[in-house]
Amino acid sequence: MTTVPLLNVAGMSRRRSGRIAVEAVSFFLNRGEVLGLLGVNGAGKSTTLSMLAGALRPDAGTIKLDGGDFVARPGLARRLLGWLPESAPVWPELTVDEHLLAFSRLRGASAADARRATDGIVGRLDLGDLRRRLAGVLSQGQRQRLGLACALVHDPALIILDEPANALDPVQVGELRRLIRERAAAGAAVILSTHVLAEVVAVCDRVAILHEGRLRHDAPCRHDAGGESLEATFFAIATGASA
Amino acid sequence: MSTSAVMRLEWRRLWVRPLAWALAALTIAWLAWTFVLGLGQFLGEQVKLAAVADAPGFTDLVAIPLLAELARLAFLVVPLMTMTQLAGERRAGTLALLASTGLAPWRIVIGKYVAVLAWLALWLLAALAMPLVVGVESTADWGKLAAATLGTALLLATLAAIGMACSAATGFPAIAAALALIVSLALWSVDRGARAAGVSGGFLDWLSMATHLQNLMRGLVVSTDLVWFALAIGLSLTLAVRRLGADRERQ
Repeated sequence: MTTVPLLNVAGMSRRRSGRIAVEAVSFFLNRGEVLGLLGVNGAGKSTTLSMLAGALRPDAGTIKLDGGDFVARPGLARRLLGWLPESAPVWPELTVDEHLLAFSRLRGASAADARRATDGIVGRLDLGDLRRRLAGVLSQGQRQRLGLACALVHDPALIILDEPANALDPVQVGELRRLIRERAAAGAAVILSTHVLAEVVAVCDRVAILHEGRLRHDAPCRHDAGGESLEATFFAIATGASA
Repeated sequence: MSTSAVMRLEWRRLWVRPLAWALAALTIAWLAWTFVLGLGQFLGEQVKLAAVADAPGFTDLVAIPLLAELARLAFLVVPLMTMTQLAGERRAGTLALLASTGLAPWRIVIGKYVAVLAWLALWLLAALAMPLVVGVESTADWGKLAAATLGTALLLATLAAIGMACSAATGFPAIAAALALIVSLALWSVDRGARAAGVSGGFLDWLSMATHLQNLMRGLVVSTDLVWFALAIGLSLTLAVRRLGADRERQ
């Protein structure tokens, strides 16, 4: 019996501002897998993640989410997908609690379920002290944690995290890594975009490297000392040493 | 379900936003002053009016002018209320986040539109409370007042729909507000040139928002006027939905 990947991307391409941002990217992701997405600035990581999150439509290619055509049916994202964009946007006039309740309700939860989900994620991400605080007065790190909570509040099957460790302190980074592994162990697939190679080595099962819009590397992550082989591969691709 | 979730979210945001409270407080104060002046003038002319056969009453001289004043204010207030609905969200990045919840563009637009309508309905009710309180104790023409209220409500709904379309068209709230103001004013007075040339009753006359509101303000409920408002609202919201849907292609 073959298992259908949770996410199956084939030939995904996108032009932005007249230039190719992502070209013919193909990969798949199984449940319980953590994929690290690496690339230099402008490599196409955020465009790729925006397409996978349903915020952008690919010019070409297919995205299958849980077997369904995600490009034609972006509504599949409702329950299956959680996305933390790079800037962790929030509504400054709403409290932390209001954000989480709103995102839960937007994903189709009833009022009681939304309250339960909010309580759960607040406890898990240690946001208890911030519940009544307006998002507009949160520090960058707190805002990042709120964005993460909004992405996870409905317990999605596919979690897309764009630079989730931005502005987090080392303790919070450790907690984030534990959280990612915990979600993967529970069966969620995670895509983690980052500039920090050590983070990929610490939490990812596979690593994909984008360069100039193309997927140049997609292989299991080797947990060798300090991620030296990954570093070598990354620099070879980023500097053009690897054709 | 999701549309109501968007509506609740937007209502909550309007409720805590200082701009909504400031606009409500300032405009209601202005309208209250207008009402008191109008009422004073009406009371002062009681003797003169009593001598005129079929003289205009409280509804014509106080209540409807108050609604007309609110309609004038709405040309400024509504674009300010709608400017951030989509343009501000697009700028802050929260619109893409909303889209990533799998919500169809029409659900986002309708949810936000209904929230703005609810705020505008409260604004209208607050203004209407003044003539209603006095009207209960006097001889108001309730039919005429109801028609004028319907006309004002339809004007507010149309301006809000135009505001949503303009907010969907740009990522800059200030530009969205300016655009909504200009489009609304243009639609209001599109027949000015024709009137100046002495031509009336043509297509431009029909196209003008003023033509359709004036009938209702006079107490005339004509189905073509209601259809015009429905068309204007439908067309504006359709444009907003289409532009929002195009975001996934255009960004």
